[in-house]
Amino acid sequence: MLNDLLFRLRSLFRRTQIEEEMGDELRFHFDHQVEKYVATGLSLQEAQRRARLTMGGEDKIKEDVREARGVSFVETLLQDLHYGARMLRKNPSFTIVAILTLALGMGATVAIFSVVDAVLLRPLPYRDPATLAVVWENSIRHSHPHNVVGPPNFVDWQRQNTVFESMAAMADTRANLTGAGDPEQVVVQNVTAGFFHVVGVNPVLGSGFTEENWKKGKDDVLILDYGFWKRRFGSDTHLIGKTIELNGKPQVIVGIAPKDFNLFIKDGTLTGSAPQMWAPFAVPESFGDRKEGFGRWLTVVARMKPGVSLAEAQSEMNIVASRLQQQYPDTNAHWGATVVSMREQLSGDLRPALVTLFCAVAFVLMIACANVSGLLLARAATREKEIAIRTAIGASRWRVARQLLTESLLLAVVGGALGLVLAIWGTNALLAASPKGLLGLTSVSIDMRLLSFAIAATLLSSLLFGFLPSYIAARSPIAETLKDETRGSSASGRRGFLRHALVIGQMGLALVLLAGSGLLIRSFIRLAGVNPGFETRNLLTFQVGLPRSKYAKDPAQVAFFNEFLARISRIPGVRNASMENYPPLTGLGAATGVHILGQPQVSKAEGPVSGVRVVGQDYLQTMGIPLLAGRTFTEAELKEARRVVIVNQAFVDKHLRGENPLGKRVVIYMRDEKVDEQNPSEIIGVCGSVRQMGPGEEAKPIAYWPMPELTYSRMTILVKTAGDPLSLVSTIRYELNQMDRELPMASIASMDQLLSDSISRSRFTMFVLGVFAVIALILTSVGIYGVIAYSVAQRTHEIGIRMALGAQRRNVLGLVLGQGTRLTLIGVGIGAVAALLLTRLMSSLLFGISATDPITFVAVIVMLAAVALLATFVPARHATRVSPVVALRYE
Amino acid sequence: MPETHIDLPQGTLDLLILKTIKLQPLHGGAISERIQQISKEVLQVQQGSLYPALHRLERRGWIKARWGASENNRRAKYYELTRAGRKQLEAEQDSWRKLTTAVAQILETT
Repeated sequence: MLNDLLFRLRSLFRRTQIEEEMGDELRFHFDHQVEKYVATGLSLQEAQRRARLTMGGEDKIKEDVREARGVSFVETLLQDLHYGARMLRKNPSFTIVAILTLALGMGATVAIFSVVDAVLLRPLPYRDPATLAVVWENSIRHSHPHNVVGPPNFVDWQRQNTVFESMAAMADTRANLTGAGDPEQVVVQNVTAGFFHVVGVNPVLGSGFTEENWKKGKDDVLILDYGFWKRRFGSDTHLIGKTIELNGKPQVIVGIAPKDFNLFIKDGTLTGSAPQMWAPFAVPESFGDRKEGFGRWLTVVARMKPGVSLAEAQSEMNIVASRLQQQYPDTNAHWGATVVSMREQLSGDLRPALVTLFCAVAFVLMIACANVSGLLLARAATREKEIAIRTAIGASRWRVARQLLTESLLLAVVGGALGLVLAIWGTNALLAASPKGLLGLTSVSIDMRLLSFAIAATLLSSLLFGFLPSYIAARSPIAETLKDETRGSSASGRRGFLRHALVIGQMGLALVLLAGSGLLIRSFIRLAGVNPGFETRNLLTFQVGLPRSKYAKDPAQVAFFNEFLARISRIPGVRNASMENYPPLTGLGAATGVHILGQPQVSKAEGPVSGVRVVGQDYLQTMGIPLLAGRTFTEAELKEARRVVIVNQAFVDKHLRGENPLGKRVVIYMRDEKVDEQNPSEIIGVCGSVRQMGPGEEAKPIAYWPMPELTYSRMTILVKTAGDPLSLVSTIRYELNQMDRELPMASIASMDQLLSDSISRSRFTMFVLGVFAVIALILTSVGIYGVIAYSVAQRTHEIGIRMALGAQRRNVLGLVLGQGTRLTLIGVGIGAVAALLLTRLMSSLLFGISATDPITFVAVIVMLAAVALLATFVPARHATRVSPVVALRYE
Repeated sequence: MPETHIDLPQGTLDLLILKTIKLQPLHGGAISERIQQISKEVLQVQQGSLYPALHRLERRGWIKARWGASENNRRAKYYELTRAGRKQLEAEQDSWRKLTTAVAQILETT
């Protein structure tokens, strides 16, 4: 064994000496043989001829000896690499195309994979995340399965279920942080007892909440988000035990949450932003009481008992919910419960987009591989003669195959390395291009698993596209190849079939990609073209929240906001100023049951539902919403409650069909039930419908109350300006400071920006898929160009004969184009069928068109066919320029 | 190429080489001559198979090579048996005899 190893090593490292010795040995043998023949009486010349005959090919012997010495593996590898590199250098256009193709495919795959991995696959930073779930109320009537939960239902769920070990609820609010530094608006997540136990997270600093903290009066403690702690307090470790002021009330900091703990459940948020701190939610006595004005506003997290599956938890919750339906039809008729795993909840709405992108990128990789494989096949064909000669002078077929494999491996490694660079760059570009907060990631690192994925992808694809050409090359019969190179041996027939199959496959894949991205583009154009129902131009929005400690009474808040709006209106460059309780286009809003007097009374759960928004002066003018009937609010109605409301057209269409809405009186169940019933509001106006929740959402019935009817301490201010809305921010801030130095302006944005943000996800998906489709189109056209150009080169002889026999140029053109058309038609046909089947999977990403939208399909089919034919046309023209004389001599 | 060409069964050439150089070290040319002579021209060993076989045996440590002077005073590579080679030869001769006896028995019946 050791002997063997030493021998091999010596053979490897003392290669030149051993090669020399081998030459000497064989030369000695030859001379010896010649002497012998001379001794038998032959002439020297004849003796040498005989000796050469018996000896056979010297190189072949040497090669076999090398093999026998056992060095050949490493040595031939080095030799192959050397030779391969030389061959690649000698064909720069081939090499560049192949390497770029590979790098593009690889880079895109790894970049997308790393994002998919981070969002969909990486473990959540909570204890045992698989048993963590989110429980929603399921609004069956409005098909809204992820509805926030009413506190009494949460309390009953807690009492009645047998599948959860523990449950906790949370609700987020905004608050003003004052004291140290500039005032700032922050998002506080109020959590019920046991919340941190349910998710299984402990603070990295500080002791966290104690049982005591959930009692009223003891709840003035906070746990800070890690990022917020770092930004606002410079990661000060002495902060624990210190006090900060929230809405003017002192709060003690008792903990800092771990870095990656930032549980933000978009479906349930009331603020629309990730929390910056957590506060104990000391629930009032009336928390579980259904008589005290029932509303839904909690997000519920739950820990499943060991061994309980998600399906079991769901079926148990179905039983509990249907029991509650019968018990409390008033609040619970048509309400079920939905159990969602935490993973699903956090990635759920991104999943379809990411899975689509992942499939798209896999397609791009496949096209890239097919392309390189096609290139290598064509090249193997042009090298047929070279390979045949190598075989003839003693290379074994395996040896030739290995040579070709090494070459493709070399391509793959270079392409892969370049691809990795592209991947790192692409991942960052992807993060930079993705809308803020969409992926919930700030950085994605390329980790070991990812690296191995890239290496596996490289090796696999190199085998994939390296194997076919070498397999075929190794099998072609030598003599035939040497004899004949243009008339198509059986090997080139096989190769032709394979190349055609590759091109057809590429066309099919490219068509699926084009169809997918075509659908997204069409759907995005629809989405962007949707009229939101109001004027977004030159409209500034920001939020102001009043602390209860300073502005305890509703009239004080109304007076503050009215004064503020009046001050803003006086600023030069301001056309109108108004306000609204929820920022538009963010998907936030409240909805409730209404009862229109004169219509039969039904239970709240059965009756009509409307969104409710609280607005300020000149709201319709500021937003550019048309008043369709009646009048707007008077100054008096904006100062104190006069029981008036303006509804939108959708409200009239849905709840007051065929009736005159003006003068009708409506009970809006938004405050205390008895107060609401005693104070119905009179409809004084009808305005145009607005897609408040975002352009992708249908316009819903909305009732607009003037602020005194229902006062909110936190409002979104809307300012219509003559010029750039953002240029007025500092003037407005000055006015605000004049009124109260401690109030921050938060979430400052132009409405155009908000509108653009609301469709940013669609734009992002469309953009990425569009890039892939363009790559696919380019690669595919290179692919078909390569095949046709090669086939023209192969058929030069034939074309020459045809032309010599009288064929016209257009016959030749038709001949070549016909071949391209056939391939194109088959590929497009297969692709169209595949696309019809596959695009259905992405229907949840589409807006306003079906997944089989005929216009999109026809457009992409025409586009792909046109590009393919163009790619065919270039070599076809080349064929018509063939001069018969040259062609016949071509061999 | 000679007309009478007998393909040696796999491994047989190794045995013949070991046997041929048992008595004295020989160079490649001499080995193939010796095999040819003794087999009365039936077995002809081509260089194409001889040299790979020699190098293979050397790698296995059964023979070793050294450079020496030939009959007419030229530098030639001589191969000789090592101790391991001697053992290997005995073992192979033994199994060869068993094999041929067995094959002969089968061929002679019927």
